[in-house]
Amino acid sequence: MMNFILADLRRFKGGALAVIVLIALSVALSVTVTLQERAVRLGSARAAEKFDLLVGAAGSETQLALSAVFLQPSPLPLMSGAVLAKLAADPRVDFAAPVGFGDSEAGHPVVGTTTALISALSPKLAEGVLFARLGDAVVGSDVPKQLGAEIKPMHGLADIAGETHTEIVYKVSGRMAPTGTAWDRAILVPIRAVWQLHGMTGGHDHDHDHAGETPEAAAAEEHDHEHAPVDADAAIDEQFEAETPGLPAVLVKPKTIADAYRLRQEYRGETTLAVFPAEVLTRLYATLGDARSLLLAIAIGTQVIVIAAILLVTIMHVGARQRQIGALRAFGAPRRSVVAIVWGELLLLFLAGFVLGVLIGYAGAQLISASLTATTAVRMPVEFAREDMSLAVWFVVLAMLVSILPALLTLRLSPARALKA
Amino acid sequence: MSMLELDISGLEMRFPGLDAPVLAIDRLHLPSGGRLAITGASGSGKSTLVNAVTGLETATSGTVSWGGTDITRLPVGRRDAFRAAHIGLVMQDFHLFPGLSAFENVVLPVRLARRLTPAERERALFLLETTGIARPDQHIETLSRGEMQRVAVARALLSKPGVIVADEPTASLDRKTGEEVADLLVRLSREEKATLVVVTHDPALTERLDRRIALDGGRIVEDSGEKRAA
Repeated sequence: MMNFILADLRRFKGGALAVIVLIALSVALSVTVTLQERAVRLGSARAAEKFDLLVGAAGSETQLALSAVFLQPSPLPLMSGAVLAKLAADPRVDFAAPVGFGDSEAGHPVVGTTTALISALSPKLAEGVLFARLGDAVVGSDVPKQLGAEIKPMHGLADIAGETHTEIVYKVSGRMAPTGTAWDRAILVPIRAVWQLHGMTGGHDHDHDHAGETPEAAAAEEHDHEHAPVDADAAIDEQFEAETPGLPAVLVKPKTIADAYRLRQEYRGETTLAVFPAEVLTRLYATLGDARSLLLAIAIGTQVIVIAAILLVTIMHVGARQRQIGALRAFGAPRRSVVAIVWGELLLLFLAGFVLGVLIGYAGAQLISASLTATTAVRMPVEFAREDMSLAVWFVVLAMLVSILPALLTLRLSPARALKA
Repeated sequence: MSMLELDISGLEMRFPGLDAPVLAIDRLHLPSGGRLAITGASGSGKSTLVNAVTGLETATSGTVSWGGTDITRLPVGRRDAFRAAHIGLVMQDFHLFPGLSAFENVVLPVRLARRLTPAERERALFLLETTGIARPDQHIETLSRGEMQRVAVARALLSKPGVIVADEPTASLDRKTGEEVADLLVRLSREEKATLVVVTHDPALTERLDRRIALDGGRIVEDSGEKRAA
């Protein structure tokens, strides 16, 4: 039976191949949409994992989460440094780490923070040591800098050309282990170095009130002034008092989940904003989910059209093969064998197309994920899940039902009539 | 299987849209081991008769019985099975399946129904040898037309049918190969002890058979056997 089916398919190589490719492409479309949506969801969820609670100045929750988790370049409003001091002293807080954006180097964001955040992201450094002096920097795993390499921060956000800071040259002292997050592309420096670089010495009696201004807005103002040279050899100080300069965000690691909720409640106010990044992302996924449903509907629509086209081709093909089918029956092949042959051939094409489509779809998702990872550093895991099985089973059942139709059509004519066709 | 005798009575074949029956045969008896030639112009009902006696087409009325089994009364599936077991078919256009070897073509009908037994395997090889096919594994499309028809004869004989029905077996062959195939049919039906029914307009083939009926307008207009009997 199989011999005959294969011999038959070999005879119609071109057509069989075309059918397989058609099915494969339409299946690949759905597979890619499904896998890619999952990859983005899982990847960003994992990226947000380390960020329990974010506190920033009142503004957009989404922007705060995206900026901190994905280091998305955008001007965030600054909040008072006193918030950081208060959080750091709070007994419910494991650690509170400032996050200061604004500069970049060769497309890599330079982020001012403390060693606590580095230890949270990468409990063990891949090489080197944490920063100890204002002029030290720890790079993410994807930053192509050797230990000891110099980093000249450019003012402004990544991708946008700005003025190079001449007041300080950081030296790479360590490298984080890969985290699979956007922070793999970041250069982490002591927050105080960032403040000094931008002339923000802190305190309420400062010349300018920077609260409510973006770092670059603040710095643009500073450009008229002499930039204070930064002493790269000064030891870092990670104790923050009320005098601390303004900053866009603080990452808070609460001791317990209950603490997390209480803290979020407390820091939701007129001047500050507290968010669980995971929650913000979940809201975004809901939107992403809608997009996926739409794409999937389009993909499934495509499959229906393809299957209908294939059905048409098959029915025509069976018509053209009436003679062969009549002969098979005339020479003693039972009807069930004839049905099985036509059914088997079509099912074989469907399944071959399906398997090929899954492979192409998987490869496609891998490719898209790889290119996304290359630009965002967020690792997007392309993986199959249990619920994909039910989709696959559906396809196979549908393929079996659809392909039996032409098979049953073959029995309509008597063998003699079929032979004359 | 032993040879089968054929009994037809009151057979009528009608096609939709035609007033007159395409075939109407009151009585026809062919004893087992008989060798019958059916002749007639095209449209005389020859092919319809072949379809009726082989069960390829359902009779409108009447009976066609082989060795006592009335095939017009069998449901389609059983009729197909009866044909597979008892009737060896040889057709004008061979109906061999490209992409398969000579051997695979001979055993295909059996293989599509069930597993091939070692005995059937042996018999297939023996039949190919008898019909003069030197290489059983040769692909069918590389054979000459004469060889193709010989493979078709081997296929018809595989299940040791009680009757061989051949529809214009030599019509698409040249004179010489046609004679060879005619020889083969007559010789093998004798050796294999099968009744033989041949539709043909080939006088050389008709002459080798014991009896000839001529059809016209779906009716038997001439029967050499009856004359002899009379």
